Amino acid sequence: MDVRQSFAAFLQKTLEKNPAAARQILAAGYRAFLAYGKVHPDKRLSPAKRYASDEVMKCIIRALTKPEECCMASLFVPGELLAAAGVNPYSVEALSCYLAGTSLEKVFLDVTSREGFPDTMCSFHRVFLGASDSELVRMPPFMVYTNLACDGNMMTFPYLKEKREIPAFYIEVPWEKNEDAVQYVRGQLVELKAFLCDLTKKTIEDEALADLVAGSNRASFDYMRALSLQKTHTLPSMMTAEMYGIFMSRIFSGTKTAETYAKMYLQDMEQAPASDAIRINWVHMFPFMQPSLRQWLNFSPDICLAANDLSADGFRIVDENDPFRGMAQRMVYSIFNGSATDRADYNVALAKKTGADGVVIFSHWGCRVTIGAAGIIRDALEDAKIPAIILDGDGCNPGNTPDGQILTRTQAFVEMLQQKREHQ
Amino acid sequence: MISYVCKYTPLELFAGFGESVSPLNQLPKTIGKADKIAPSNLCGFSRSLIELVEEQGVRNLILTNCCDSMRRVYDILKAKGNLDFLYLLDLPRTDEECQVDRFADRLLALKKAYEEHTKKTFDRAAFLASFTRNQLPQEPYVGILGVRAFPELEEEIRRSTGKKTVNLTCLGSRDLSSDLAGMAAAPDEKTLFRLYAQALLSQLPCYRMNNHTRREKIFLDDNLVGIVYHTIQFCDYYGFEYAQIKNRVQVPLLKIETDYTGQSLGQLRTRIEAFAETIGVMEKKGAALTGEQRHMAEREGYFGAGIDSGSTSTDVVILDKDRQIVASRIVPTGGGANVSAEKCLQMALDDAGIPREKVLQIVTTGYGRAYLGEGDGSVTEITCHAHGAHFLHPIVRTIIDIGGQDSKAIRVDENGNVTNFLMNDKCAAGTGRFLEMMAGALGLSIEEMAKNGLSWNEEITISSMCTVFAESEVVSLVAQNRAVPDIIHGLNRSIAQRVGALANRLGPEDGNRSTGSTRDDATLMMTGGVARNEGIVRALEENLHRPIYISEKAQLCGALGAALFAVERIEKDLKESK
Repeated sequence: MDVRQSFAAFLQKTLEKNPAAARQILAAGYRAFLAYGKVHPDKRLSPAKRYASDEVMKCIIRALTKPEECCMASLFVPGELLAAAGVNPYSVEALSCYLAGTSLEKVFLDVTSREGFPDTMCSFHRVFLGASDSELVRMPPFMVYTNLACDGNMMTFPYLKEKREIPAFYIEVPWEKNEDAVQYVRGQLVELKAFLCDLTKKTIEDEALADLVAGSNRASFDYMRALSLQKTHTLPSMMTAEMYGIFMSRIFSGTKTAETYAKMYLQDMEQAPASDAIRINWVHMFPFMQPSLRQWLNFSPDICLAANDLSADGFRIVDENDPFRGMAQRMVYSIFNGSATDRADYNVALAKKTGADGVVIFSHWGCRVTIGAAGIIRDALEDAKIPAIILDGDGCNPGNTPDGQILTRTQAFVEMLQQKREHQ
Repeated sequence: MISYVCKYTPLELFAGFGESVSPLNQLPKTIGKADKIAPSNLCGFSRSLIELVEEQGVRNLILTNCCDSMRRVYDILKAKGNLDFLYLLDLPRTDEECQVDRFADRLLALKKAYEEHTKKTFDRAAFLASFTRNQLPQEPYVGILGVRAFPELEEEIRRSTGKKTVNLTCLGSRDLSSDLAGMAAAPDEKTLFRLYAQALLSQLPCYRMNNHTRREKIFLDDNLVGIVYHTIQFCDYYGFEYAQIKNRVQVPLLKIETDYTGQSLGQLRTRIEAFAETIGVMEKKGAALTGEQRHMAEREGYFGAGIDSGSTSTDVVILDKDRQIVASRIVPTGGGANVSAEKCLQMALDDAGIPREKVLQIVTTGYGRAYLGEGDGSVTEITCHAHGAHFLHPIVRTIIDIGGQDSKAIRVDENGNVTNFLMNDKCAAGTGRFLEMMAGALGLSIEEMAKNGLSWNEEITISSMCTVFAESEVVSLVAQNRAVPDIIHGLNRSIAQRVGALANRLGPEDGNRSTGSTRDDATLMMTGGVARNEGIVRALEENLHRPIYISEKAQLCGALGAALFAVERIEKDLKESK
């Protein structure tokens, strides 16, 4: 057993007897990891990724230790309004990632199995539900959720809202993408402002909100410029670190943290060496805990994870003069809303932007949004002469994926890309 | 003809165009086309739907964006289907004012799209004339809840329970409480369609809606005598609701999961029949005794036999009139259920030294019961295991049975009557088959595996629940030179976790009675052949934090229960004939 597994085993035993103690121990472990990183930073990671790693870790520690200062939110809720209300949002998926990163996912998946929740449900949501039902995670004073982008939200949030009797705000994003839909969401975001002011007893000034949306636009601008540089330059890749962009572009949007991250990322890319590594764009979550893939892919000098559609989609330039409309635009025009062909077209454009040699479409077990779209995205990429592979796996439950198979398939795909390049 | 799959589909709108409508929920003959264009872990209904569109030559289909799978079905059919009119209606998740307004706009947009497509004119009178009510019956009924059920399943439930059934799934229970007068008087289409939107959204919500507390009404209906709750693999909404209501509903509840293919229907029959037994709507009939048999019974005594025809073994128990076991036999099921049953019965008769004709009733049970020529009636193995277990250990309240191709957790009352049960029969994990495959991977017999697993030293976690993945995990552990007893112990824990979860889902036993501190006074009992595997029993005890009673006759429990039913039927016949 390695250190992480021993820590997980100890935590599991503590959790059975005393969830509060387990929570404190887990938070202490995360704090120790944070402190260790200050003294011995992982220099294989770029400064932006190290910065993001620390900031997301702080968010998770806060969610565990000071839930009263937090808000549980689905990943696609606009962060600007929450930031303007002085609330610290955390996403269900982010917290589950950290629990999986601590080898605790099985403990909580087992809790949901015992409760009878379907095993086919998204493991990110199941891990969170298990952590909540076993009292590791305490509930915040309120929650904000949306139907964008997956059904997982529409089970987890209403369930906890009713079970724990927590005030909740729901944002409905229509299927169509037009100004009518934007105005419909805009109206709901204005109501969300009133909801937040009421619960936090704070005032949200529209001007301050406009500044935050302008900050999101600056972050988006920097992030997109950084992506353009991927064509010629590369940074060492690590699956876990690539996930930080997902949180920065969504629930962290509008915060100084997100803006700083995007600025640092651009600087990192500008200073990155020219490279002829194989560039892979990645669709959806990363199987960041899959042992064989971690060992092979993380920090590989020959392979670079150039872009991820879940991160990049959130970095959109939107209307900053009417911040409510701007935030609504980001939700309505998201590639995770509406037809899968939008997501397919976006991934073709993204692959061209980063000069991707190929695209891995990670078909996460439990995510019908991506599973059903995978074939459509692959076809669109192949029509554009961009090689693509659909990789079946589970982003938050490595036990649900045959480790050897996923490695073989990814390696074979990369070999194919290398051969293609040699013949060009 | 307009096909649809959701109860929120505006059927009356199409009546206004003079169109007929039909639900598209039948079972396809194959899944050939869907296999080519739809991923395997999209939900079973979605794949069937894609296939049906092709198979039935559907030209017009209205979908709603009711779930992630339906959204992707729309994308797939749009890209690769061959329909004349395919429309995805954007369905809100609540019936608040602004959602109703928006839905009314969406309905008008659909009307316009259909007008443009067909050049037909909307007839308001025909529209208004098509509204019908579909209220709950005023007589006892079995509710079919959960996700869409195929007609054959509905028919099987009706047949097995012998009761009126009401389809309350997401495609059934379509009952619009409409302001018809208001609609008739509506000055313009906007007003008309707003009232229509309101009527559609005020239906009893499906679980996908954001206001499912209103669904409580279903569970509280006085005429509801039982619920068959249908879920489909990879449809999470209803699996999720089931997890929440399973311990709350006051009527017998049976969960069945299908992959929306006819293959599962045979296996489901066992469970539906057992469910019918729990709600007492199915009589356990046996053939009546002849006058000569009655005379012989009173003069010389009699015997009753039970045959349990399982996938791995066939078991026979013969009881005398005092319920004493006079013979029992266990033979491997091979060469067909019928041959094994006949052979096993004859061996038991030979052992007891009694002629066949002195056995006045034979009750069959187990998966093979439907195929047996022998027998005067059959009872499901769930009820038989409960009856047998209660006979062997009257304080039992929970029974775990790990069979060859399924595992069961059964809750019984103080009289041994089944009050609830859960089964896992859709996947080999947690069944005898899983053990056989793992023993094969380790190159051991089942007996060797049971014995070796007791001398473990280090805890190993087998993380894969899937049998195929677990097998490759075991192979790689062997390659890493991990000790075989440790691997077996890991496998035992894996099974215990799966089966323990099943038992936990039954909820706590009634009252404040102790569940026992030793094996002898335990209220949890394990039956079936796997009960002899001490490693698994210990792992289950550890998982459930309670002792488990093991009878020497654990493997015969199903056949014993069937034999008890046989003796009871003889007694009843003799009593009634006097």
